[in-house]
Amino acid sequence: VPPQQHLPGFAPQGGDGDEDFSLSPTPSHSQVQRNLQRRSQDQINQKVSELVQFLLVKDQKKIPIKRADILKKVIGDYRDVYSEIVNRAGRTLQQVFGLQLVEIDTKHHVYILISDLPRAEGENLHRDNQTAKLGLLIVILSFIFMKGNSAKDGAVWEFLRRLRVQPGERHEVFGDVKKLVTEEFVRQKYLEITPIPLTDPPEFKYQWGLRAAKETSKKDVLRFVAQIQKKDPTFWTSQYNEAEATP
Amino acid sequence: ENREDMLSSKSNRLTEALEEANKLFSGVSCAREAALDAQFLVLASNLGKEKANELHSEMTAFDSLAFAEDLLTFMGINRIEVEENDSDSEGISGGYLPSNAWHKLGEETEKYFRRAPSFHYMLGSFKSEPPVPRQRIERQKKATGGEAKRAMPAQLKKMEESHQEATEKEVERILGLLQTHFKNDPDTPISFFDLVIDPNSFARTVENIFHVSFIIRDGFARLKLDDDKLPIIEPSKDNEGKENDRGAGARNQIVISLNQQEWK
Repeated sequence: VPPQQHLPGFAPQGGDGDEDFSLSPTPSHSQVQRNLQRRSQDQINQKVSELVQFLLVKDQKKIPIKRADILKKVIGDYRDVYSEIVNRAGRTLQQVFGLQLVEIDTKHHVYILISDLPRAEGENLHRDNQTAKLGLLIVILSFIFMKGNSAKDGAVWEFLRRLRVQPGERHEVFGDVKKLVTEEFVRQKYLEITPIPLTDPPEFKYQWGLRAAKETSKKDVLRFVAQIQKKDPTFWTSQYNEAEATP
Repeated sequence: ENREDMLSSKSNRLTEALEEANKLFSGVSCAREAALDAQFLVLASNLGKEKANELHSEMTAFDSLAFAEDLLTFMGINRIEVEENDSDSEGISGGYLPSNAWHKLGEETEKYFRRAPSFHYMLGSFKSEPPVPRQRIERQKKATGGEAKRAMPAQLKKMEESHQEATEKEVERILGLLQTHFKNDPDTPISFFDLVIDPNSFARTVENIFHVSFIIRDGFARLKLDDDKLPIIEPSKDNEGKENDRGAGARNQIVISLNQQEWK
Protein backbone atom coordinates (compact mmCIF):
# COMPACT_ATOMS: atom_id res chain seq x y z
CA VAL A 1 0.00 0.00 0.00
CA PRO A 2 1.56 3.33 -1.03
CA PRO A 3 2.15 5.85 1.77
CA GLN A 4 -0.63 8.38 2.16
CA GLN A 5 -0.03 11.40 -0.06
CA HIS A 6 -0.60 14.84 1.40
CA LEU A 7 -2.08 17.53 -0.77
CA PRO A 8 0.59 20.14 -1.63
CA GLY A 9 0.53 23.02 0.79
CA PHE A 10 -1.58 21.14 3.33
CA ALA A 11 1.02 19.55 5.57
CA PRO A 12 -0.80 18.73 8.80
CA GLN A 13 0.00 21.00 11.73
CA GLY A 14 0.19 19.60 15.24
CA GLY A 15 -2.56 20.13 17.82
CA ASP A 16 -4.42 22.84 15.97
CA GLY A 17 -7.99 22.10 16.95
CA ASP A 18 -10.28 20.61 14.42
CA GLU A 19 -8.76 22.16 11.31
CA ASP A 20 -6.00 19.75 10.47
CA PHE A 21 -8.33 16.84 11.12
CA SER A 22 -10.76 17.96 8.49
CA LEU A 23 -8.06 18.94 6.01
CA SER A 24 -6.47 15.52 5.91
CA PRO A 25 -8.85 12.87 4.65
CA THR A 26 -10.73 10.98 7.41
CA PRO A 27 -8.93 7.72 8.08
CA SER A 28 -10.73 4.75 6.64
CA HIS A 29 -11.77 1.87 8.81
CA SER A 30 -8.81 -0.26 7.79
CA GLN A 31 -6.44 2.64 8.45
CA VAL A 32 -7.88 3.04 11.93
CA GLN A 33 -7.43 -0.66 12.58
CA ARG A 34 -3.82 -0.39 11.53
CA ASN A 35 -3.28 2.66 13.74
CA LEU A 36 -4.74 0.73 16.64
CA GLN A 37 -1.91 -1.76 16.41
CA ARG A 38 0.52 0.91 17.44
CA ARG A 39 -1.02 1.24 20.89
CA SER A 40 -1.66 -1.06 23.77
CA GLN A 41 -5.12 -2.13 24.85
CA ASP A 42 -4.65 -0.32 28.15
CA GLN A 43 -3.87 2.94 26.44
CA ILE A 44 -6.94 2.78 24.27
CA ASN A 45 -9.17 1.74 27.17
CA GLN A 46 -7.85 4.63 29.19
CA LYS A 47 -8.85 7.05 26.47
CA VAL A 48 -12.27 5.45 26.18
CA SER A 49 -12.87 5.87 29.92
CA GLU A 50 -11.72 9.47 29.80
CA LEU A 51 -14.09 10.18 26.95
CA VAL A 52 -17.02 8.58 28.79
CA GLN A 53 -16.37 10.75 31.85
CA PHE A 54 -15.92 13.83 29.70
CA LEU A 55 -19.22 13.30 27.93
CA LEU A 56 -21.13 12.64 31.16
CA VAL A 57 -19.89 15.86 32.73
CA LYS A 58 -20.35 17.94 29.58
CA ASP A 59 -23.92 16.74 29.33
CA GLN A 60 -24.88 18.26 32.69
CA LYS A 61 -25.92 21.56 31.17
CA LYS A 62 -27.46 19.86 28.14
CA ILE A 63 -25.35 21.94 25.78
CA PRO A 64 -24.38 19.78 22.79
CA ILE A 65 -20.76 18.66 22.71
CA LYS A 66 -18.52 19.59 19.81
CA ARG A 67 -16.09 17.17 18.26
CA ALA A 68 -13.42 19.88 18.33
CA ASP A 69 -13.65 19.96 22.13
CA ILE A 70 -13.45 16.19 22.34
CA LEU A 71 -10.36 16.15 20.16
CA LYS A 72 -8.65 18.89 22.06
CA LYS A 73 -9.50 17.93 25.62
CA VAL A 74 -9.53 14.14 25.50
CA ILE A 75 -8.25 12.54 22.32
CA GLY A 76 -5.07 14.51 21.76
CA ASP A 77 -2.45 12.34 20.05
CA TYR A 78 -4.90 9.51 19.54
CA ARG A 79 -6.83 11.31 16.86
CA ASP A 80 -5.82 8.78 14.27
CA VAL A 81 -8.00 6.24 16.10
CA TYR A 82 -10.72 8.73 16.98
CA SER A 83 -13.55 6.79 15.44
CA GLU A 84 -12.65 3.63 17.36
CA ILE A 85 -12.53 5.48 20.69
CA VAL A 86 -15.87 7.15 20.05
CA ASN A 87 -17.51 3.89 19.07
CA ARG A 88 -16.27 2.12 22.16
CA ALA A 89 -17.30 5.05 24.38
CA GLY A 90 -20.74 4.89 22.86
CA ARG A 91 -20.98 1.20 23.64
CA THR A 92 -19.90 1.75 27.25
CA LEU A 93 -22.43 4.53 27.69
CA GLN A 94 -25.13 2.26 26.39
CA GLN A 95 -24.23 -0.89 28.29
CA VAL A 96 -23.23 0.70 31.58
CA PHE A 97 -25.33 3.86 31.78
CA GLY A 98 -28.24 3.18 29.49
CA LEU A 99 -27.41 6.27 27.47
CA GLN A 100 -27.11 6.79 23.76
CA LEU A 101 -24.46 9.00 22.17
CA VAL A 102 -26.07 10.66 19.18
CA GLU A 103 -24.46 12.87 16.57
CA ILE A 104 -27.21 15.40 15.95
CA ASP A 105 -25.25 17.40 13.41
CA THR A 106 -23.17 15.33 11.02
CA LYS A 107 -21.87 18.38 9.21
CA HIS A 108 -20.49 20.24 12.23
CA HIS A 109 -20.03 17.08 14.30
CA VAL A 110 -22.03 17.82 17.42
CA TYR A 111 -23.13 15.19 19.94
CA ILE A 112 -25.74 14.80 22.67
CA LEU A 113 -26.58 12.11 25.19
CA ILE A 114 -30.07 10.75 25.42
CA SER A 115 -31.60 8.00 27.45
CA ASP A 116 -31.63 4.58 25.89
CA LEU A 117 -34.24 3.25 28.27
CA PRO A 118 -37.95 3.95 28.56
CA ARG A 119 -38.82 6.42 31.28
CA ALA A 120 -39.32 4.71 34.63
CA GLU A 121 -42.51 5.37 36.51
CA GLY A 122 -42.34 7.03 39.84
CA GLU A 123 -41.53 10.37 41.31
CA ASN A 124 -38.57 12.33 40.12
CA LEU A 125 -36.35 12.43 43.19
CA HIS A 126 -34.14 15.25 41.99
CA ARG A 127 -36.46 18.20 42.48
CA ASP A 128 -35.12 21.20 40.67
CA ASN A 129 -36.20 23.64 38.06
CA GLN A 130 -35.43 21.27 35.21
CA THR A 131 -38.80 19.60 35.53
CA ALA A 132 -40.71 22.84 35.25
CA LYS A 133 -38.59 23.92 32.28
CA LEU A 134 -39.43 20.65 30.55
CA GLY A 135 -43.12 21.47 30.96
CA LEU A 136 -42.62 24.84 29.31
CA LEU A 137 -40.57 23.25 26.56
CA ILE A 138 -43.11 20.63 25.59
CA VAL A 139 -45.79 23.27 25.48
CA ILE A 140 -43.74 25.29 23.00
CA LEU A 141 -42.79 22.22 20.95
CA SER A 142 -46.44 21.16 20.81
CA PHE A 143 -47.54 24.56 19.63
CA ILE A 144 -44.90 24.60 16.90
CA PHE A 145 -45.70 21.10 15.65
CA MET A 146 -49.47 21.48 15.69
CA LYS A 147 -49.13 24.72 13.76
CA GLY A 148 -47.25 22.99 10.97
CA ASN A 149 -43.68 22.63 12.28
CA SER A 150 -42.99 26.32 12.40
CA ALA A 151 -44.49 29.31 14.17
CA LYS A 152 -43.79 33.01 14.28
CA ASP A 153 -42.40 34.43 17.49
CA GLY A 154 -45.43 36.68 17.88
CA ALA A 155 -47.76 33.69 17.78
CA VAL A 156 -45.67 31.67 20.24
CA TRP A 157 -45.54 34.43 22.85
CA GLU A 158 -49.20 35.24 22.35
CA PHE A 159 -49.93 31.60 23.16
CA LEU A 160 -47.64 31.61 26.20
CA ARG A 161 -49.34 34.74 27.47
CA ARG A 162 -52.50 32.71 27.90
CA LEU A 163 -50.52 30.49 30.25
CA ARG A 164 -49.45 33.52 32.31
CA VAL A 165 -45.95 33.54 30.81
CA GLN A 166 -44.89 36.96 29.57
CA PRO A 167 -41.57 37.89 27.98
CA GLY A 168 -41.38 41.26 29.69
CA GLU A 169 -42.15 40.12 33.24
CA ARG A 170 -40.07 38.15 35.68
CA HIS A 171 -41.77 34.77 36.04
CA GLU A 172 -42.18 33.23 39.47
CA VAL A 173 -40.79 29.89 38.33
CA PHE A 174 -38.73 30.64 35.22
CA GLY A 175 -37.29 34.05 36.00
CA ASP A 176 -36.22 35.67 32.75
CA VAL A 177 -38.45 33.60 30.46
CA LYS A 178 -37.38 35.35 27.28
CA LYS A 179 -33.76 34.47 28.01
CA LEU A 180 -34.69 30.90 28.88
CA VAL A 181 -36.55 30.37 25.64
CA THR A 182 -34.47 32.37 23.19
CA GLU A 183 -31.05 31.62 24.64
CA GLU A 184 -30.94 28.53 26.86
CA PHE A 185 -33.33 26.37 24.85
CA VAL A 186 -31.61 27.44 21.64
CA ARG A 187 -28.10 26.73 22.96
CA GLN A 188 -29.25 23.32 24.10
CA LYS A 189 -30.65 22.80 20.59
CA TYR A 190 -34.19 22.20 21.80
CA LEU A 191 -35.37 25.12 19.70
CA GLU A 192 -34.18 26.74 16.54
CA ILE A 193 -34.96 30.41 16.11
CA THR A 194 -34.19 32.04 12.78
CA PRO A 195 -34.89 35.58 11.66
CA ILE A 196 -37.42 36.06 8.88
CA PRO A 197 -35.71 38.12 6.18
CA LEU A 198 -36.85 41.60 5.28
CA THR A 199 -39.20 42.00 8.19
CA ASP A 200 -39.32 45.31 9.93
CA PRO A 201 -39.52 45.23 12.94
CA PRO A 202 -37.59 41.94 12.75
CA GLU A 203 -39.65 38.79 13.23
CA PHE A 204 -38.45 35.28 13.99
CA LYS A 205 -39.41 31.77 13.10
CA TYR A 206 -39.53 29.12 15.83
CA GLN A 207 -38.88 25.50 14.94
CA TRP A 208 -37.83 22.32 16.65
CA GLY A 209 -34.09 22.08 17.31
CA LEU A 210 -31.92 19.08 16.53
CA ARG A 211 -32.01 17.86 20.13
CA ALA A 212 -35.80 18.01 20.32
CA ALA A 213 -36.05 15.77 17.29
CA LYS A 214 -33.98 13.11 19.07
CA GLU A 215 -35.21 13.38 22.65
CA THR A 216 -38.83 13.30 21.71
CA SER A 217 -40.86 12.76 18.57
CA LYS A 218 -43.83 14.17 16.74
CA LYS A 219 -45.74 11.08 17.79
CA ASP A 220 -44.94 11.65 21.46
CA VAL A 221 -45.79 15.32 21.32
CA LEU A 222 -49.08 14.60 19.56
CA ARG A 223 -49.86 12.05 22.26
CA PHE A 224 -49.16 14.72 24.85
CA VAL A 225 -51.56 17.15 23.20
CA ALA A 226 -54.16 14.41 22.92
CA GLN A 227 -53.76 13.57 26.60
CA ILE A 228 -54.18 17.18 27.67
CA GLN A 229 -57.19 17.74 25.44
CA LYS A 230 -58.69 14.32 26.22
CA LYS A 231 -59.02 13.41 22.57
CA ASP A 232 -57.62 10.72 20.34
CA PRO A 233 -54.46 11.63 18.41
CA THR A 234 -56.29 10.79 15.18
CA PHE A 235 -58.53 13.79 15.81
CA TRP A 236 -55.90 15.93 14.11
CA THR A 237 -55.64 14.02 10.85
CA SER A 238 -52.80 15.76 9.06
CA GLN A 239 -50.64 16.05 12.16
CA TYR A 240 -51.33 12.39 12.95
CA ASN A 241 -50.34 11.29 9.48
CA GLU A 242 -47.19 13.35 9.58
CA ALA A 243 -46.26 11.99 13.01
CA GLU A 244 -46.76 8.41 11.85
CA ALA A 245 -44.64 9.04 8.79
CA THR A 246 -41.71 10.46 10.77
CA PRO A 247 -39.43 7.82 12.29
CA GLU B 1 -46.63 46.86 4.26
CA ASN B 2 -49.81 45.04 3.46
CA ARG B 3 -48.59 41.73 4.77
CA GLU B 4 -51.77 40.56 6.44
CA ASP B 5 -53.76 41.54 3.42
CA MET B 6 -51.52 39.60 1.07
CA LEU B 7 -51.53 36.58 3.36
CA SER B 8 -55.24 36.30 3.58
CA SER B 9 -56.39 33.27 1.67
CA LYS B 10 -59.22 35.26 0.24
CA SER B 11 -57.07 37.78 -1.55
CA ASN B 12 -55.28 37.62 -4.85
CA ARG B 13 -53.19 40.62 -4.03
CA LEU B 14 -49.96 38.65 -4.12
CA THR B 15 -50.67 37.43 -7.62
CA GLU B 16 -51.59 40.93 -8.70
CA ALA B 17 -48.41 42.34 -7.26
CA LEU B 18 -46.34 39.73 -9.08
CA GLU B 19 -48.02 40.48 -12.36
CA GLU B 20 -47.38 44.16 -11.92
CA ALA B 21 -43.74 43.51 -11.13
CA ASN B 22 -43.44 41.46 -14.28
CA LYS B 23 -44.75 44.32 -16.35
CA LEU B 24 -42.45 46.80 -14.70
CA PHE B 25 -39.42 44.60 -15.26
CA SER B 26 -39.66 44.94 -19.01
CA GLY B 27 -38.99 48.65 -18.51
CA VAL B 28 -35.89 48.07 -16.38
CA SER B 29 -32.67 49.39 -17.80
CA CYS B 30 -30.19 49.87 -14.97
CA ALA B 31 -28.72 47.67 -12.25
CA ARG B 32 -30.39 49.43 -9.32
CA GLU B 33 -33.84 48.72 -10.69
CA ALA B 34 -32.94 45.11 -11.26
CA ALA B 35 -31.77 44.87 -7.66
CA LEU B 36 -35.06 46.26 -6.45
CA ASP B 37 -36.85 43.73 -8.58
CA ALA B 38 -34.78 40.93 -7.05
CA GLN B 39 -35.58 42.21 -3.58
CA PHE B 40 -39.24 42.25 -4.41
CA LEU B 41 -39.05 38.67 -5.62
CA VAL B 42 -37.53 37.53 -2.30
CA LEU B 43 -40.28 39.28 -0.40
CA ALA B 44 -42.94 37.85 -2.64
CA SER B 45 -41.62 34.32 -2.39
CA ASN B 46 -41.50 34.57 1.41
CA LEU B 47 -45.08 35.67 1.45
CA GLY B 48 -45.93 32.90 -0.94
CA LYS B 49 -44.32 30.35 1.36
CA GLU B 50 -46.24 31.67 4.32
CA LYS B 51 -49.47 31.48 2.40
CA ALA B 52 -48.69 27.89 1.51
CA ASN B 53 -47.99 27.13 5.18
CA GLU B 54 -51.28 28.54 6.23
CA LEU B 55 -52.99 26.34 3.71
CA HIS B 56 -51.39 23.28 5.25
CA SER B 57 -52.31 24.00 8.84
CA GLU B 58 -55.83 24.84 7.91
CA MET B 59 -56.36 21.23 6.93
CA THR B 60 -56.72 20.16 10.52
CA ALA B 61 -57.16 23.38 12.41
CA PHE B 62 -55.46 23.38 15.76
CA ASP B 63 -57.37 25.34 18.36
CA SER B 64 -54.57 26.80 20.45
CA LEU B 65 -56.98 28.61 22.74
CA ALA B 66 -58.63 25.38 23.76
CA PHE B 67 -55.20 23.80 24.21
CA ALA B 68 -54.18 26.63 26.51
CA GLU B 69 -57.32 26.27 28.57
CA ASP B 70 -56.86 22.53 28.85
CA LEU B 71 -53.24 23.03 29.92
CA LEU B 72 -54.30 25.42 32.65
CA THR B 73 -56.87 22.91 33.82
CA PHE B 74 -54.24 20.18 33.95
CA MET B 75 -51.90 22.44 35.90
CA GLY B 76 -54.60 22.83 38.52
CA ILE B 77 -55.96 26.28 37.91
CA ASN B 78 -58.45 27.51 40.41
CA ARG B 79 -61.10 29.22 38.35
CA ILE B 80 -62.86 32.16 39.92
CA GLU B 81 -65.56 34.48 38.70
CA VAL B 82 -64.28 36.37 35.70
CA GLU B 83 -64.44 40.13 36.14
CA GLU B 84 -66.09 41.93 33.29
CA ASN B 85 -63.70 44.73 32.48
CA ASP B 86 -60.17 43.34 32.34
CA SER B 87 -59.71 39.60 31.81
CA ASP B 88 -61.79 39.10 28.71
CA SER B 89 -60.28 41.94 26.76
CA GLU B 90 -56.76 40.68 27.40
CA GLY B 91 -57.68 37.18 26.39
CA ILE B 92 -56.43 35.74 29.67
CA SER B 93 -59.01 33.74 31.56
CA GLY B 94 -59.51 34.43 35.21
CA GLY B 95 -58.23 32.09 37.82
CA TYR B 96 -55.44 31.41 40.20
CA LEU B 97 -52.55 29.23 39.06
CA PRO B 98 -50.87 27.40 41.93
CA SER B 99 -47.11 27.77 42.32
CA ASN B 100 -46.36 24.13 41.53
CA ALA B 101 -48.35 24.31 38.29
CA TRP B 102 -45.36 24.03 35.98
CA HIS B 103 -43.70 21.33 38.08
CA LYS B 104 -46.86 19.31 37.87
CA LEU B 105 -46.91 19.68 34.12
CA GLY B 106 -43.20 18.93 33.84
CA GLU B 107 -43.54 15.68 35.76
CA GLU B 108 -46.20 14.48 33.38
CA THR B 109 -44.08 15.55 30.45
CA GLU B 110 -41.05 13.49 31.36
CA LYS B 111 -42.46 10.33 29.92
CA TYR B 112 -42.54 11.93 26.49
CA PHE B 113 -38.82 12.68 26.56
CA ARG B 114 -35.79 10.47 26.43
CA ARG B 115 -33.69 12.83 28.46
CA ALA B 116 -30.41 11.58 29.85
CA PRO B 117 -30.34 12.07 33.61
CA SER B 118 -27.69 14.60 34.56
CA PHE B 119 -24.55 13.07 35.94
CA HIS B 120 -23.37 14.64 39.21
CA TYR B 121 -20.88 13.45 41.75
CA MET B 122 -22.83 12.66 44.90
CA LEU B 123 -20.57 14.57 47.22
CA GLY B 124 -19.92 17.44 44.85
CA SER B 125 -16.52 18.44 43.61
CA PHE B 126 -13.62 20.42 45.03
CA LYS B 127 -14.26 24.04 45.80
CA SER B 128 -11.65 26.28 44.28
CA GLU B 129 -11.42 28.93 47.04
CA PRO B 130 -9.77 28.16 50.38
CA PRO B 131 -12.16 28.59 53.30
CA VAL B 132 -9.50 30.14 55.57
CA PRO B 133 -10.80 33.75 55.78
CA ARG B 134 -14.21 32.58 56.91
CA GLN B 135 -12.70 30.59 59.77
CA ARG B 136 -10.91 33.61 61.14
CA ILE B 137 -14.05 35.69 61.40
CA GLU B 138 -15.85 32.85 63.07
CA ARG B 139 -13.12 32.48 65.65
CA GLN B 140 -13.28 36.16 66.52
CA LYS B 141 -17.00 36.03 66.94
CA LYS B 142 -16.75 32.97 69.14
CA ALA B 143 -14.20 34.72 71.41
CA THR B 144 -16.56 37.64 71.89
CA GLY B 145 -19.44 35.30 72.55
CA GLY B 146 -17.40 33.51 75.18
CA GLU B 147 -16.63 36.74 76.98
CA ALA B 148 -20.25 37.76 76.98
CA LYS B 149 -21.17 34.46 78.50
CA ARG B 150 -18.79 34.98 81.38
CA ALA B 151 -19.98 38.53 81.99
CA MET B 152 -23.69 37.75 82.12
CA PRO B 153 -24.14 34.14 83.10
CA ALA B 154 -27.57 34.59 84.61
CA GLN B 155 -29.13 36.10 81.56
CA LEU B 156 -27.76 33.64 79.05
CA LYS B 157 -30.49 31.63 77.38
CA LYS B 158 -29.45 31.61 73.73
CA MET B 159 -25.81 32.08 72.79
CA GLU B 160 -26.43 34.08 69.63
CA GLU B 161 -28.90 36.52 71.09
CA SER B 162 -26.81 37.52 74.08
CA HIS B 163 -23.70 37.70 71.95
CA GLN B 164 -25.42 40.22 69.72
CA GLU B 165 -26.68 42.31 72.63
CA ALA B 166 -23.38 42.17 74.44
CA THR B 167 -21.56 43.49 71.42
CA GLU B 168 -23.95 46.39 71.01
CA LYS B 169 -23.83 47.17 74.70
CA GLU B 170 -20.07 47.16 74.69
CA VAL B 171 -19.87 49.37 71.66
CA GLU B 172 -22.24 51.85 73.22
CA ARG B 173 -20.35 51.75 76.48
CA ILE B 174 -17.06 52.49 74.82
CA LEU B 175 -18.57 55.26 72.75
CA GLY B 176 -20.03 56.71 75.93
CA LEU B 177 -16.61 56.62 77.60
CA LEU B 178 -15.04 58.32 74.62
CA GLN B 179 -17.61 61.07 74.48
CA THR B 180 -17.47 61.69 78.22
CA HIS B 181 -13.71 62.00 78.14
CA PHE B 182 -13.94 64.48 75.30
CA LYS B 183 -16.57 66.56 76.98
CA ASN B 184 -14.26 66.91 79.94
CA ASP B 185 -11.10 67.44 77.96
CA PRO B 186 -11.83 68.40 74.36
CA ASP B 187 -8.30 69.15 73.31
CA THR B 188 -6.62 65.95 74.24
CA PRO B 189 -7.23 63.13 71.86
CA ILE B 190 -7.03 59.68 73.36
CA SER B 191 -4.30 57.35 72.38
CA PHE B 192 -5.89 54.40 70.61
CA PHE B 193 -3.79 51.96 72.51
CA ASP B 194 -4.58 53.54 75.84
CA LEU B 195 -8.21 53.03 75.09
CA VAL B 196 -8.20 49.46 73.94
CA ILE B 197 -5.42 47.74 75.81
CA ASP B 198 -6.43 45.86 78.85
CA PRO B 199 -3.23 45.24 80.83
CA ASN B 200 -4.68 42.11 82.33
CA SER B 201 -6.21 40.34 79.41
CA PHE B 202 -5.03 39.90 75.85
CA ALA B 203 -8.37 38.54 74.81
CA ARG B 204 -10.15 41.53 76.23
CA THR B 205 -7.79 43.79 74.31
CA VAL B 206 -8.66 42.11 71.05
CA GLU B 207 -12.29 42.39 71.93
CA ASN B 208 -11.95 46.10 72.62
CA ILE B 209 -10.33 46.67 69.24
CA PHE B 210 -13.23 44.78 67.70
CA HIS B 211 -15.77 47.02 69.41
CA VAL B 212 -13.95 50.21 68.57
CA SER B 213 -13.91 49.17 64.93
CA PHE B 214 -17.70 49.33 64.96
CA ILE B 215 -17.64 52.83 66.29
CA ILE B 216 -15.30 53.91 63.54
CA ARG B 217 -17.21 52.05 60.84
CA ASP B 218 -20.39 53.82 61.77
CA GLY B 219 -18.64 57.17 61.76
CA PHE B 220 -19.01 58.03 65.43
CA ALA B 221 -15.29 58.35 65.89
CA ARG B 222 -12.22 58.87 63.80
CA LEU B 223 -8.77 57.39 63.90
CA LYS B 224 -5.82 59.65 63.15
CA LEU B 225 -2.07 59.47 63.44
CA ASP B 226 -0.47 61.98 65.80
CA ASP B 227 2.94 63.60 65.49
CA ASP B 228 4.61 60.49 66.76
CA LYS B 229 2.79 58.42 64.15
CA LEU B 230 0.80 56.70 66.87
CA PRO B 231 -2.91 56.22 66.36
CA ILE B 232 -5.29 58.46 68.28
CA ILE B 233 -9.03 58.37 68.41
CA GLU B 234 -11.55 61.17 68.74
CA PRO B 235 -15.31 61.24 68.50
CA SER B 236 -16.71 62.98 65.47
CA LYS B 237 -19.52 65.45 65.58
CA ASP B 238 -22.68 63.78 64.40
CA ASN B 239 -23.14 65.22 60.93
CA GLU B 240 -19.42 65.25 60.31
CA GLY B 241 -19.18 61.54 60.77
CA LYS B 242 -22.08 60.71 58.53
CA GLU B 243 -20.91 63.01 55.78
CA ASN B 244 -17.53 61.44 55.76
CA ASP B 245 -19.18 58.13 55.31
CA ARG B 246 -20.72 59.07 52.03
CA GLY B 247 -17.75 60.90 50.64
CA ALA B 248 -15.78 59.16 47.98
CA GLY B 249 -12.54 57.78 49.28
CA ALA B 250 -13.49 58.60 52.86
CA ARG B 251 -13.46 54.95 53.78
CA ASN B 252 -10.15 53.45 54.58
CA GLN B 253 -9.24 50.07 55.86
CA ILE B 254 -6.63 49.42 58.43
CA VAL B 255 -5.30 46.10 59.50
CA ILE B 256 -3.96 46.07 62.99
CA SER B 257 -1.92 43.13 64.02
CA LEU B 258 -1.16 42.58 67.64
CA ASN B 259 0.23 39.44 69.07
CA GLN B 260 0.74 38.53 72.65
CA GLN B 261 4.41 39.48 72.66
CA GLU B 262 3.67 42.98 71.46
CA TRP B 263 0.82 43.33 73.91
CA LYS B 264 3.10 42.44 76.79
